[in-house]
Amino acid sequence: MAAAAAAAGRARRGAPVYSQKELTSKKRGEFEDILEERRMSSDLRYAMKCYAPVIYKGLSPCKPSAIKSAVLHSEQVQYVIRQLAKETGESSDIIQEAAMEILDEMGHSMQLGAVRFFAFTLSKIFKRLFQRVCVNEEGMQRLQQAIQEHPVVLLPSHRSYVDFLMLSYLLYTYDLALPVIAAGIDFLGMKIVGELLRRAGAFFMRRSFGGNRLYWAVFAEYVKTMLRNGYAPVEFFLEGTRSRTAKTLTPKFGLLSIVMEPFFKREVFDTYLVPISISYERILEESLYAYELLGVPKPKESTSGLLKARRILSDNFGTIHIYVGQPVSLRTLASGRINRCPYNLVPRHLPQKPSEDIQEFVSDVAYKMELLQIENMVLSPWVLAAAVLLQNLPAMDFELLIEKTLWLKGLTQTFGGFIEWPEEVYSCFSFLRDVFSDEFIFFPGISLKDFEEGCFLLTKCDAIQTTQQEIYPTDKGSVVISFLSAMFRPFLEGYQLIFRYLSKEAKAAFTEKQFIPGVRNFVFQLLEKGNTQCYEALSSDIQKNALAALVQLGAVKKKKMTNGFTYSINQEAVNKILDMFVFRNQLPRRNDTYPEEPPPREPPPASAAAAVQPRRLRSGAALCRVCGCLGPRVCGRCRRAAYCGPEHQALDWRRGHRRTCAQPGAADDLEDAVPDHNEFLFPEYEILIEPEEPESPADSSVDPDDEAAIDTSGNSDKQEELRATGSASEALESLDEETLEAMAKHETEDDKIFQKFKERIAAEPEQIIRYCRGGEGPIWVSGENVPEEKDIPNCSCGAKRIFEFQIMPQLLNHMKVDSLGESIDWGTLVVYTCANNCNEGNQYTEEFIWKQDFSAGSM
Amino acid sequence: MHGKARQELLKWNGWGYNDSKFIFNKKGQAEFTGRRYRLGGMVLPTFKEWIEKTFGASLEHKSTSRASLNVNDVPPSVVNEEFLRDLIATKISYSQDAEDRVFRGHGHCLHEIFALREGIFRRIPDIVVWPVCHEDVVKIVELACKHSLCIIPFGGGTSVSSALECPEEEKRTIVSLDTSQMNRILWIDEKNLTACVEAGIVGQDLEKQLAESGFCTGHEPDSMEFSSLGGWVATRASGMKKNIYGNIEDLVIHIKMVTPRGIVEKNCQVPRMSTGPDIHHFIMGSEGTLGVVTEVTIKIRPVPEYQKYGSVVFPNFERGVACLREVAKQRCAPASIRLVDNAQFQFGHALKPQVASIFTSFLDGLKKFYITKFKGFDPNVLCVATLLFEGDREKVLQHEKQVYDIATKFGGLAAGEDNGQRGYMLTFVIAYLRDLGLDYYIIGESFETSVPWDRVLDLCRNVKERIARECKEKGVQFAPFSTCRVTQTYDAGACVYFYFAFNYRGISDPIHVYEQIERAAREEILANGGSLSHHHGVGKLRKRWMKESISDVGLGMLRSVKEYVDPNNIFGNKNLL
Repeated sequence: MAAAAAAAGRARRGAPVYSQKELTSKKRGEFEDILEERRMSSDLRYAMKCYAPVIYKGLSPCKPSAIKSAVLHSEQVQYVIRQLAKETGESSDIIQEAAMEILDEMGHSMQLGAVRFFAFTLSKIFKRLFQRVCVNEEGMQRLQQAIQEHPVVLLPSHRSYVDFLMLSYLLYTYDLALPVIAAGIDFLGMKIVGELLRRAGAFFMRRSFGGNRLYWAVFAEYVKTMLRNGYAPVEFFLEGTRSRTAKTLTPKFGLLSIVMEPFFKREVFDTYLVPISISYERILEESLYAYELLGVPKPKESTSGLLKARRILSDNFGTIHIYVGQPVSLRTLASGRINRCPYNLVPRHLPQKPSEDIQEFVSDVAYKMELLQIENMVLSPWVLAAAVLLQNLPAMDFELLIEKTLWLKGLTQTFGGFIEWPEEVYSCFSFLRDVFSDEFIFFPGISLKDFEEGCFLLTKCDAIQTTQQEIYPTDKGSVVISFLSAMFRPFLEGYQLIFRYLSKEAKAAFTEKQFIPGVRNFVFQLLEKGNTQCYEALSSDIQKNALAALVQLGAVKKKKMTNGFTYSINQEAVNKILDMFVFRNQLPRRNDTYPEEPPPREPPPASAAAAVQPRRLRSGAALCRVCGCLGPRVCGRCRRAAYCGPEHQALDWRRGHRRTCAQPGAADDLEDAVPDHNEFLFPEYEILIEPEEPESPADSSVDPDDEAAIDTSGNSDKQEELRATGSASEALESLDEETLEAMAKHETEDDKIFQKFKERIAAEPEQIIRYCRGGEGPIWVSGENVPEEKDIPNCSCGAKRIFEFQIMPQLLNHMKVDSLGESIDWGTLVVYTCANNCNEGNQYTEEFIWKQDFSAGSM
Repeated sequence: MHGKARQELLKWNGWGYNDSKFIFNKKGQAEFTGRRYRLGGMVLPTFKEWIEKTFGASLEHKSTSRASLNVNDVPPSVVNEEFLRDLIATKISYSQDAEDRVFRGHGHCLHEIFALREGIFRRIPDIVVWPVCHEDVVKIVELACKHSLCIIPFGGGTSVSSALECPEEEKRTIVSLDTSQMNRILWIDEKNLTACVEAGIVGQDLEKQLAESGFCTGHEPDSMEFSSLGGWVATRASGMKKNIYGNIEDLVIHIKMVTPRGIVEKNCQVPRMSTGPDIHHFIMGSEGTLGVVTEVTIKIRPVPEYQKYGSVVFPNFERGVACLREVAKQRCAPASIRLVDNAQFQFGHALKPQVASIFTSFLDGLKKFYITKFKGFDPNVLCVATLLFEGDREKVLQHEKQVYDIATKFGGLAAGEDNGQRGYMLTFVIAYLRDLGLDYYIIGESFETSVPWDRVLDLCRNVKERIARECKEKGVQFAPFSTCRVTQTYDAGACVYFYFAFNYRGISDPIHVYEQIERAAREEILANGGSLSHHHGVGKLRKRWMKESISDVGLGMLRSVKEYVDPNNIFGNKNLL
């Protein structure tokens, strides 16, 4: 009987929208940490990057004001205005004005400048707040595809204010069209921030406007206009408000039914709904929510409140996982469900209450989308551990916590939960191997082999069993394993204590003589209090080895001082020191190798230039698009781009192939369309030499004749590229310099130096080399890592080395190796050469080069 | 004028005259044979490239039709001896010949032509009869009632709605009633400007014969070379020049129809009467389910003094539609106004014959330069409207100016008479193209709808997109060719005509795939607020949507008429209901 009723119910409602999902092992793809790149390269450059997102059907975006005017003059809004005028007797002009006011209150005014501002500040803030922001790349690729096909509605889960910003930040990072976001009108109460949000694409809706027909008409038309025109993805929160409990709230249907209407009326062919799950390990507003739920009233959103909230910047909020779900085609959802008639018999611009069919459909879709959000929420170990802890208040044994958490993990997986578990045994192994590199003897560079050997030995004595994916200890093996780990424990604990000492007690710079007693004292205290049993940490052998390991790992800097070495803790990621060498060769004009006269000034034939760079060997073997080595692998999608291996394929994908791959036109010339970043050979230029104009650095005391700024000037076919550089600098100008400055809040020494650097090169922004042998020294890009006199070694002939020239970062642009985080990079390269010009003649002499990077703090 | 053995003049397995077809000549260039059309004997130098580019087709991959009908494939004729005796007694001519029967067993739907080419025949008429007058028809219907036979009336055979297909499950003898010998103009009434014509007359013959007396009907559907007056009435046909002359329902003054119940007719031939629902409207669009239309009194007009073609280029389809809407709003539409989209414009371009002189080619280049470079039109976006003006010379010129003035407001540029004329000429020739396509693994079809003005653009875009998407889903290897044109304008909406074709290489059951896609396209049309049909009719092809189109009650009304008029389902072609 019940079954029959259920069947009848299903028949009435058509095919179920939500079907039983597959519970086991769902393939969800890999996550990528978008902060990783941000930590490695300049935020300012990132904020200034060329941002040209793909948009729906190649439509050119229209201005926010044009949208407003289109909405105001739309039949829909005009109809309601006329109706209201008839009913209230008021003149329609007045009502129209009211409508305009509503639009002004509501409408976004997206500006690239504001977007760049956010890109910059959010990079800074997110890097402080979160360890990682992980995104499923595959989802982003799907989204990019979807945006080109049909209008897209983004439906993120809502747990925090961060959701707003995070998604836009993400789309900016991936070069996708930024969404317009439905935000609560209460944000407008926040003075500057409200306007900023508006410029970043937020539009504001009143919390309740059920009775106000004009408001409803204007609002609905505004949303629909943006959607229909494919102006930008529309983003809103199905839950309506932030969930205070991290449980998903029941959906609100109003906005969803608005965004579906253009499809029902067939004003668009289809609409994609994209469920997005944003999972936090810890929510920014956690304590606020707790107060709120206990009845302490929600503070009004205000700018001062936000500024107060800055203190959270010093906290750690773990990792965010953003899972961009499969875009769901509204057309597919509706097929067979929606009776098409109701919208055919009434002009489409008349406001019409949706039929029961449609209301039911909207509700089903809303629930389906929320379930999809929930399905793809990521559970991290900490979340599970917290759940276990909550049931074991006030405290529980650590081992038990681990055991319970692991049990919960198993349970979650059985239930089909989505777990990100950082449990690669090998990565732990290789980390420890690096840490103990001065403690034990490892043959350098074969950590994988070491790992396999270890596994083999342990398997041999039955301590562990290994399968393809898993390694697990056996019951029999517990004796072996506990013995071995006990052997190892003193080192582990000893190092931990030493690291604790360094992070808590140590001064900014210290000598070895200060270090050892310091550690000893620290350990003594702990031993006395009974906080540790690790007497081994008192051993100076361990202490020295630990310090050496830290130096090796780059966490501690070692500097040679007159009275021995000093150490300083490297708070920020240190320059990745590249092996750079510089050689001097002073050939006389008449020599054995080159002719006396310069070559004729004729441009080389174009074909010759092409021949320099074959994408394919004559044998037909394809070459990697990135490095130019043999490329046996091809892109699985377009089957045309060749690569040497997965690393370069992944790199090229992120660097732009994802845009060209899907474009059939681009695919045709793909073979030779070498992306800018991957020239195997550097392009050739002529270097123009000019003395630096005296007036440009007004505050400078340099003798203009002494110093020459050297500028590049390409031959005619390079002009375009140079112009491109120009437009980038325009973009730089378009962003209010002061805004940027203000936002940095504190001006550091570094900033000043960098400012100075910028001022100096402003006169000739294209300069690549500054030459001034023996004269005024180089201009630095940063206050950090400036060599002192003793840092510059003397020449082998015994003479002093003096400054000769510096290479500017602009050269990277010209050589097209300016891709952040991937290619070589420098702030400036300073070359010091022998003051005596020793070894003249036909030979090379090694000289000294000093590399200075942009300081991680200033950019 | 057709004889009884039409296959001597017309193709047995394709469209139109035997002597007229597209071929690739020895040089590999496309050519249109025969002398019947302006394009006849001309070489079309760019057409081959267009086909190859548009469909990914290759001339090396050919699929050939059976050269002639194999009589052994044809189901035998099953005819009751007694009926045959009675029929012979009436002296009405008949045939049980396989070729005659096959010819009357199909219309021109893709699947019907495909079946002919493959030599597959499921159910065809058992016997063909040729009545020569109204009385003959009365006799045949009486005999059919007496012997319980099934009659399927056959006019021009140009149906594209599966209306002529014999229901496979029909067990009775199927009589194909060919009206082609009832083709006389019975009288012309110059005072009232009407003519009484037998229903079997073919469009071009009707116009030719009326012209001899200085008249015309002005009803010119694209099929007018072959379709018959009776067929027009039975399907609610629409003619190209309806803006001046009206559609068939506006033209008809009186209809005489023979039904199993008896003869339906009115007592007078008046312009309008208020006598309850107009019984003509039961007949028009009845698609042969109620009886045989034998005589029609139709309005006639003096042959127009002056005709002028024209064309306008618009920067894009949206502007073009807006212009047509404005023209309709001001009620100043010329005899015909059509707007083709860019794909169809390019298609028309590909059908340009080799230019006769360097001068014309130069002029062409100049025009192209002016339109694309000077006016900034994108050749891949622009679209063209073709126009036909008719009437007094002076009025035509005045009218022309009015229309061009409106066009200018929508960014339109006059593009010459020649382009307009070619556009109309192509509509007659285009039907021949499908046969060429079929030789090279390309199948295609046209379909139409009517739609309110405000939905025209959405409908065109969505239907094309739906076709593209369905093709992809169904495994069609090359992007389909789908194009549309707005062919008629009304006060409240427009008629939109779609062409759709694709290369079916690599698909095992192309007809099934094709039908699925066409069905999806029709669903899309309905969802976009379009009608089930503007003038092709329902037949058996679109029956499934009738209930949705006219509601349960509406369908019941039609059924009850059928039940009264033809309780034994003598007219059992199973169309419409």
